[in-house]
Amino acid sequence: MSLKRIGLLMWKEFTQFKRDPLLLRLVIVMPILQLFMFGYVVGADVRNIPTAIVDADKTPMSRQVAAAFTSSGYFVVTANLADERAIQPLLDRNQIQVAVLIPPGLEADLARGRQVPVEIVVDGSDSKTASVASGYAAQILGSFNRKRVAALGIAGAPGIDPRTRVLFNPSLRAVNAMIPGLVALIMMLSMSAIMSQAVVKERERGTLEQMFVTPITRGEYLIGKVTPYILISFLQVAIIMLVGHYWFQVPFNGSVAVVGLGLLLFMFTALGQGLFISTISRTRQQAQQGTMFILIPTMVLSGFIFPIESMPAAVVPVTYLVPLRYVLVVLRSNWMKGAGLDVLWPQLVAMAVFSAVVFFAALARFRKRLAD
Amino acid sequence: MRDGRANAVEVRGLTKRFGDFTAVDAVSFDVPRGEIFGFLGPNGSGKTTTIRMLCGTIGPSGGGATVLGHDVVADPESVRRSIGYMSQKFALFEDMTVDENLRFYAGVYGIEGERFAARRRYVLDMADLVGRERELTANLSVGWKQRLALGCATIHEPELLFLDEPTSGVDPTARRQFWELLYDLAETGVTLFVTTHYMDEATHCNRLAFIYNGRLIAIGSPQQIRDEHMTDQILEVEAGDVEGALAWLGERAGVREAYLSGAMLHVNVGERTDPCAVADELRAGGFVVHRCEPVEPTIEDVFVHLVGAQRREAADA
Repeated sequence: MSLKRIGLLMWKEFTQFKRDPLLLRLVIVMPILQLFMFGYVVGADVRNIPTAIVDADKTPMSRQVAAAFTSSGYFVVTANLADERAIQPLLDRNQIQVAVLIPPGLEADLARGRQVPVEIVVDGSDSKTASVASGYAAQILGSFNRKRVAALGIAGAPGIDPRTRVLFNPSLRAVNAMIPGLVALIMMLSMSAIMSQAVVKERERGTLEQMFVTPITRGEYLIGKVTPYILISFLQVAIIMLVGHYWFQVPFNGSVAVVGLGLLLFMFTALGQGLFISTISRTRQQAQQGTMFILIPTMVLSGFIFPIESMPAAVVPVTYLVPLRYVLVVLRSNWMKGAGLDVLWPQLVAMAVFSAVVFFAALARFRKRLAD
Repeated sequence: MRDGRANAVEVRGLTKRFGDFTAVDAVSFDVPRGEIFGFLGPNGSGKTTTIRMLCGTIGPSGGGATVLGHDVVADPESVRRSIGYMSQKFALFEDMTVDENLRFYAGVYGIEGERFAARRRYVLDMADLVGRERELTANLSVGWKQRLALGCATIHEPELLFLDEPTSGVDPTARRQFWELLYDLAETGVTLFVTTHYMDEATHCNRLAFIYNGRLIAIGSPQQIRDEHMTDQILEVEAGDVEGALAWLGERAGVREAYLSGAMLHVNVGERTDPCAVADELRAGGFVVHRCEPVEPTIEDVFVHLVGAQRREAADA
């Protein structure tokens, strides 16, 4: 094992890396693009929902209720209707997604201390918007009620939900869970996609064969090949964490050591995947397809996009075979809640097993392919 | 490094099996120092597998070999340190400059400082790349790439250089120039172990070995091989409809082999003594024959004959 030759291989790798526009794009542009895509699109706040108000009361109180919806920022009143029957055509034409029905006698009934139903009609065809919109509407009415009661000075008046849900903000939570997940996903992509591309490229060009008739040993080659990509993935992780923290305001309540340990274990799994792909691919296109073949089930089944809790019972056992699943739990729980090793050890053990199995199996396969 | 042996390469019963398939079957031969040794055979005959075993990149299934005195099984590291190797892919880093390629391969062999400066100057001169050191290798045309690859493979001044189809895909002029460089190397005492499927290149070699289906079927100087393995008469035929004549001849009794050699037809008529009968037969068959005369068999004729004989043997068995 010669450190000089390893250094030479790393220098070679960085020199080639600098000149490869495809790899450069993959490494620098991809994480930033994904960060903004997932940060803004998937974790996006549902805002400006087109809303119709049907005010059958037409009193100062009913106008205050309508104003509470407008001022929240979540709803934009696009229609003020006199009749409930006018809602249906607007919903059908997607001109509104929500309608608020204020019954006649709202002000009078409230003044008498009665419970008044305010009906929220939600277009359920977009389930995500529907659930978010009904959540917001309930909050707005709840907070409106509370303020009114407080002004009246009557505690425990009827029809008031005493549970505080004002702080609940679904959009913020989505981003908070998304960014730590993205760190792991991008690490996986860099390590497996870029690593397999770089090795396959070398085989395509014949330089791999050439290197093994020189004094370079297989161990030196592997270390010299892998180390630059490990360094690059550290850089990517740092970029995502910094942008996540300062741009998306994702709070970090965890420990760098736990996050680092989780990522380190996961890294060997990802490296193993990359090496494995390189042993079954003859061209760079095949390597790319191999990466996609792993990527899509990983994104769907790991809980990265869809919560595992909401998956059909038959699918859930499969998720235990997806390494990203474990690192997601570690990153999210530690990052947001500061959960420590006492809670996260089962995930870390699972990841250690995965990385050992995947990495060494791939290494054995890689060495065997070189030997034939 | 010099171990005093007369042979740069000694191969004894070298065998490589991949599953049930025997790629190289108990091959034995020697390559004396300073020789240009041609290792010939059709694609898939075991040439590359043999070279890879001799370079120590794959282990043999049986038998053994020494290269510059180092055992390829016991000490492949020493083998790799002392040999040079160049393949048909040239194996340059295309996205690195001429200088970066030289620096990398020199560094791999631990060549630095003044020795590197001297070797670099020598290679740039030899490859005609002075002034283009900072150019990307991808932008060089094929002749320059080939010479740079030769320079990289010999940057550590090996005593033995393996060349695996070094001229395939290169135009005839560049091939000739490349062989000039190989002669220059040979003159400095370097042993060259060359595989090729260009039979005209075989005549550049001091000695030839011919491998077919993993087995060595002929070895010796070009003249020895001709004398030992060729008693058949070869006719060179210049005909109007070459393709048609070839197909027609292929089905004639008394014709062992018929094939194209450049624009001419070569016809192996075995030991028949009446060569011009073939011309008459062709004419009778409706073909225009411009010329038909017996010629001295070329190395290509010998090998076509050897392969044909092997095939007939295999078919009879």
